[in-house]
Amino acid sequence: MKKLLAILLTAAMLLGMVSLASAEGYSGDLKIWVAEAVIDFTKEQVEAFKTAHPEYAGMNVTIEAVGEGDAASKVITDVTAAADIFGFAQDQLARLVTAGALEEVEPGNAEAVKSENDAGAVGAVTLGEKMYAYPLTSDNGYFLYYDKSVVTDPSDLQKVLDDCQAAGKSFYFEVNSGWYQTAFFFGAGCQLTFDTDSDGNLVKMNSTYASDNGVKALKAMIAMANHPAFMNGSSFSTATNPGAIVDGTWDSTAAKEAFGDNYAAAKLPAVDGWQLGGFGGFKMLGVKPQEDEAKLGACDALAAYLSSEEVQLARYNAVGWGPSNMNAQKSDAVQADVALSALADQLQYTIPQGQYPGEYWSLATGLGDDIIAKKYNDLDDAALMDVLKTFEATCEGYLSK
Amino acid sequence: MTDLEYFKLSKPQKMLRDAGGFFARLPKGIGTGVRKLGMLIVNILKGIGANLSDLVTTFKDGDWKTRLSYLIMGFGSFARGQWGRGLLFFLFQTVFNLYMFFPNASISGCYYLGKLSTLGTIETYKEGRRTVYGDNSFFILLYGVLTLFFIAAFIYTWRVNVKQNRISEQLLKSGHKLKTTKDDLDSLRDEQFHKTMLALPTLGVTVFTILPILFMILVAFTNFDATHQPPSKLFTWVGWDNFRQLLSSDTASYGDTFRHVLLWTLIWAFFATFLNYFLGMLVAIMINKKGIRLKKMWRTILVMTIAIPQFVSLLYVSKMFAADGLINTYLMKWGWISSPLPFWTDPTWARVTIIVINVWIGIPYLMLIATGILMNIPADLYESARIDGANAFQMYKKITLPYMLFVTGPYLLTSFTGNINNFNVIYLLSQGKPLSLQLSGNAGHTDLLITWLYKMTVNDTNYKLAAVMGILVFVVTAVINLIVYNMIPSVKNEEDFQ
Amino acid sequence: MSEKKQIPEVDIVVDQEAGVIREVKPEHLRSKSGHERRVNTSVYVILVLMSVIWLAPFVFLVFQSFRSYATESGAMVAYLLPKQWSLDNYRWLLTDPSSKFLRWYGNTLIVAAFCAVLQTFMVLSVSYTLSRLRFRGRKLIMNVVLVLGMFPGFLTMITLYFLLKQLGLTQQGAVPGMILIYVASSGMGYYISKGFFDTIPKSLDESARIDGATRAQVFRMIIMPLAKPIVIYTILMAFMAPWGDYVFASYIAFGSEPNYNVAVGLYQWVNVADYQGFFTRFCAGGVLVAVPITILFLALQKYYVEGVTGGAVKG
Repeated sequence: MKKLLAILLTAAMLLGMVSLASAEGYSGDLKIWVAEAVIDFTKEQVEAFKTAHPEYAGMNVTIEAVGEGDAASKVITDVTAAADIFGFAQDQLARLVTAGALEEVEPGNAEAVKSENDAGAVGAVTLGEKMYAYPLTSDNGYFLYYDKSVVTDPSDLQKVLDDCQAAGKSFYFEVNSGWYQTAFFFGAGCQLTFDTDSDGNLVKMNSTYASDNGVKALKAMIAMANHPAFMNGSSFSTATNPGAIVDGTWDSTAAKEAFGDNYAAAKLPAVDGWQLGGFGGFKMLGVKPQEDEAKLGACDALAAYLSSEEVQLARYNAVGWGPSNMNAQKSDAVQADVALSALADQLQYTIPQGQYPGEYWSLATGLGDDIIAKKYNDLDDAALMDVLKTFEATCEGYLSK
Repeated sequence: MTDLEYFKLSKPQKMLRDAGGFFARLPKGIGTGVRKLGMLIVNILKGIGANLSDLVTTFKDGDWKTRLSYLIMGFGSFARGQWGRGLLFFLFQTVFNLYMFFPNASISGCYYLGKLSTLGTIETYKEGRRTVYGDNSFFILLYGVLTLFFIAAFIYTWRVNVKQNRISEQLLKSGHKLKTTKDDLDSLRDEQFHKTMLALPTLGVTVFTILPILFMILVAFTNFDATHQPPSKLFTWVGWDNFRQLLSSDTASYGDTFRHVLLWTLIWAFFATFLNYFLGMLVAIMINKKGIRLKKMWRTILVMTIAIPQFVSLLYVSKMFAADGLINTYLMKWGWISSPLPFWTDPTWARVTIIVINVWIGIPYLMLIATGILMNIPADLYESARIDGANAFQMYKKITLPYMLFVTGPYLLTSFTGNINNFNVIYLLSQGKPLSLQLSGNAGHTDLLITWLYKMTVNDTNYKLAAVMGILVFVVTAVINLIVYNMIPSVKNEEDFQ
Repeated sequence: MSEKKQIPEVDIVVDQEAGVIREVKPEHLRSKSGHERRVNTSVYVILVLMSVIWLAPFVFLVFQSFRSYATESGAMVAYLLPKQWSLDNYRWLLTDPSSKFLRWYGNTLIVAAFCAVLQTFMVLSVSYTLSRLRFRGRKLIMNVVLVLGMFPGFLTMITLYFLLKQLGLTQQGAVPGMILIYVASSGMGYYISKGFFDTIPKSLDESARIDGATRAQVFRMIIMPLAKPIVIYTILMAFMAPWGDYVFASYIAFGSEPNYNVAVGLYQWVNVADYQGFFTRFCAGGVLVAVPITILFLALQKYYVEGVTGGAVKG
């Protein structure tokens, strides 16, 4: 059985070589993973790509629904079975690179990516000196969706909470997520970033969580979690009674459905006068390492195409994803979008999300779960400081050895 | 003390006696164990010696057919007219040789065997922008183990082949006829029927259970994780490091979390087993009570939870208990509570909720089992108890319960170990949440060892620790089984009671 | 006990139930006493309460599945009764071109059907052999299976995945792959049916053997006809299991949506954030899975009861 397999494999490899030698383009199989919401859109764009590039017209492209959140762990489970091109959120970049699951961006394309996309997006696809992915969106951040008939003043957290309570509604914020939590910590003036080398290894931690500002942020989260109107969560489809919710652009359709005519969005509120901050995030397309140079060429060309200005704009029109391409960002439709302008307002208070160790996310969930479970309600400032010190020390322990 | 007397003891008395008995037996048990192990080793050595000397005698006494069979398997059988056996032996040897010494060296058994000690040395590199993969540690280990299996099977078959020759020679010498191929085939339907029946299942279990388990045991001694991920990266042997990381208590290790999760696993298994057991029995007694109508309907309603796939029912129920789920919303609407009950967010609440929901899942099984057993309780036991003036509760305590415990002792044990590995209920309900800063490694307050293992495998691709965890789950299960078998001698002889 | 307790609507007549809960009173007074009636009433109350608790989630599930997708979205809501009843969700599942539900359903059905046949064959072979035949290594096999059973199943997922991948039975080949995985090791679950075979008198085999039947004939002609209950039990279990398997199915088929089974497909609708407003569709899908399985199960309940009871007693 193994024997047979080996023979077949050898034959397949030989065939592959022959086809490589004979044609300039590529006409074999190519697999793409994108989120469910853009499956149809991607199909259309791939067809458009084939029309525009006849040398790739014979390519057999399959598109499967694998969300940006899941992609990395699935790719890593078995790189050889994974898609050749896959969409993912940028927090997974380092993880993918250390697992050897991402190919560098083709040098010619890298220049274009650098000049056409916003600085945050370019930073997000770059590790050390090397660029590893094609930016797709700059909208992977969060802001406040609210119901105009419920929330009168979206600029202050306490008021938002009180308004929701008065209306018998809830305010949703996913406090047990390392991603949303930073709204408080960064807003209060703390910092938590990791430096990486070109191979995706995390070499240094820069953190000021264990500080007075950190305690201030933590206390604000505890107070919020104790408010009767508070609900932990950030997704419209599981929020049963939202008056306001901190969420991202990917939920804008659901938000419009839920709030109807009272649909509104704004930057995050402030707490005691300080503005909540957080991450500005990005989605990107990665290409996995290829043994066949012709196929790699096809992947590069297709990924570059799918992340180009026109396609980003078309993607915005189709599903509302906010482009990372600067020209596309300037288009009228994007400028006029309620959710995207709320995001843009929030942008000045955020930092572009860099690389974090995988364990950071579960650690932050632990902190958030402890807050929700009211474990810190009775702690004084010194004890809260100890909590943050532990948090910071544990984080530092995650650096690559 | 007879078993009935034993069952008459009060609970604490019983536990004391059991524990005492267990510890009293412990030194002796360990002694016996060591002695048995020693004897096993001696026996194995003796066996090898006997086989070797037998090989030599067979060669010395044998004719040329026998001697040639040492080199060409099945030759003797062929030469003596047993072509069926001969063909099988010869085929096996050919396949084995082909596998071990395949011309394309990079996929032969010898190749993998040679790399087993390092798990590969050639790194992945780039040729232009093209990726050229180096050694794949995963396949080296997997096929290395497979090769070892194959070699063991070969040695065994070869030995059988030699033995066959000797037996045939002796039979012929004493004037007997040898079995023909037809006889052999016939015997597979009769004397050797067990071989026919077990061939396929054994093959399946060997390839899809034993091989993978051995493989994963070996992985526990490597650094196979997210940063050493084939095909791009190599992994290699690291000895006991992973066990240290999982069990020791220094900062980068999971020792404290492991003990926390282990403790909850045991608490969970205890409640999931015994709470369901007693409540299920109670429900069975209620439904079977004289004068209660519509027995079949009550049973059918309860049994629905068995019939409906758990991923539907449990996922839905878990959403019902969410902070903004149906239950909290309605309780608040009716003014019974002012803020949502923290079903999934507070560690203790979450644990209790899970146990309670598991009762919902578990009662029907136990109700069915108990119904079947209750009807087997000898009626005269109750008659005589009634004559002695016992009331219902006393009869339950003195007759029904002991009988049930007695008959279902083994079931309780398997159910307990089953609950240790009860993945579905935990994962579909809480996914192990809530997490906490006190716990590390992505483990939560309601995680069992098995769900933690799953998270390590699927979310973190931390195979090395998952492998260690698997071994530890095995150890825990095995220890519990041993303890129970030692503590309750009656587990095995259920006939005594009747 | 002079009276014969005949309870016509019960499938298992429990003779001793009177002894289980019984008052110390003469027989002729007992049955009509007020005490007895009070006890019965409270038992009824408990049973009704339990029935409500047991059925409520399923009833809610059905309610949600009939909620109108067009007017009330597909998200989770905190009210029970749909404001507008409709078949939107079912229509979408069964007819929408972007719905893969029927495909998943078909996959699962194929896997379940093959498992029902092959797994039953494996289990019966092993259990019959270990129960009726005596041969060298029998105890060893049973002990090895016992030890193997103590290793958690998920431990070996990655190995199984790559083993299957070598055979081309992952992703596109996930359906046969799942069948292979479920069936290959199913012989280890021989316990319950071995217990059943143990109860068939040995004398049957012996007299047949004296008449010249081979062991294979004894198995086919004498034992199999008697084993109907356990055969049905094994088929039922083998058929039901694949419908609920999420873990292995998702691991083997990852990244290849057309080859998911229903559990994997529906699970992502509630637990992956990409799927907004799929909750009522999940409910509808759940109903479509649960209804046939439940009917099948209830129809064959008798055999199930025999199986689990026998299994529990035999251990």
